[in-house]
Amino acid sequence: MSDLERELESELHRVLDAVAARPIPTRRSAPGRVSLRALLGGAGAALTIKVLTGVAVAAAAVTVAGAATTGSLNPAVWGQQVSDHVQECKDRIANSGQHGIGDCVSSFASQHGAAVSSAARQHGNGNGNGNGNGNANGNGSSNGNGNANGHSKDKTKDHTPPAKTSSTSPPTFDPEPIDPVGTHPPVAISPKP
Amino acid sequence: MQSREKEGTPTAAGQAETERYQPGSDADFERLYRTTYRRILGTLVTLVRDVATAEDCAQETYERAYKGWAKWRPDAPVEAWLHRIAINVAISDRRYQRLREAGEVIRRLGRPASGPDPAVVAERSVVVQAMKKLPPKQAAALVLRHYHGYTNREIAAALGVPEQTVASRLAAARKHLQAVLGK
Repeated sequence: MSDLERELESELHRVLDAVAARPIPTRRSAPGRVSLRALLGGAGAALTIKVLTGVAVAAAAVTVAGAATTGSLNPAVWGQQVSDHVQECKDRIANSGQHGIGDCVSSFASQHGAAVSSAARQHGNGNGNGNGNGNANGNGSSNGNGNANGHSKDKTKDHTPPAKTSSTSPPTFDPEPIDPVGTHPPVAISPKP
Repeated sequence: MQSREKEGTPTAAGQAETERYQPGSDADFERLYRTTYRRILGTLVTLVRDVATAEDCAQETYERAYKGWAKWRPDAPVEAWLHRIAINVAISDRRYQRLREAGEVIRRLGRPASGPDPAVVAERSVVVQAMKKLPPKQAAALVLRHYHGYTNREIAAALGVPEQTVASRLAAARKHLQAVLGK
């Protein structure tokens, strides 16, 4: 063995033995990789990802459409707008002499439902047929109906009968509406047996 | 001897082969890790730029080995197999060394300035520094021969090359070291 080789061995042992004497660290294992691969791989996983993506996109579409219609992401804003519109309908009817505000409120609620549904459908079609369409239709319809019904209740709660001196009749749920002009005979409601 | 082997201290080549391992067994792989980690680290320290990188490469070596653990054949020398993987990891690391430089600077900044840290000693060693400048396969042949005590035949088996190739790599590496060290 040459001097070089001897020195080489001596130096390598001096340096590397000190490094090797340090504690052995915990082995860096990747057990999560198997489960991750199972989660992300395969046809079923691909379908899962598509479904999740579709749901997320549809939810985002409804949120955006609602925000676009009401100008706010807060549902309370939409509620306030409907309340305002109900009052507006009442005022309009009071001026025109018509009976009932149902048609007026219903038309406004239908506009909102159609707007949400249309916007959601557009997002759904752009991002995937199956999931996009399904969620878009469901959300659009339920929003429109839900809001309309909810405000019917609000109208009942908040309704304050107009003064008897008013020139218009109160809403149609009164049992015997009074005709101030006297051109119509009073309506008699008899319960059915 | 058995206790030294369990602790993973550097021993002569082939001693780890007295252990029997079942391919695919997690427990056996953990035992293999404990037994061979220090020798694999010792090899890598001479091949890559510093001890921290060598530790990273050692972990990468065992990750790659674990992936192929079920396919490993018990008739093949297990430590030679690991060394082969480690040398490939070191070669890959040298290729991407520049990409790591920023991370290494940050890691060094966080280190306390301590005294005779073995890692610092290794990084300052003239011989180790000279070996890092060698082609990885030449440096690997040197460390396997002069640190681990492998024969040329065992090195040839570990690296998957003819024995004559090992001899010529060793000769070229020694010549280069002689020039660097002024011997």
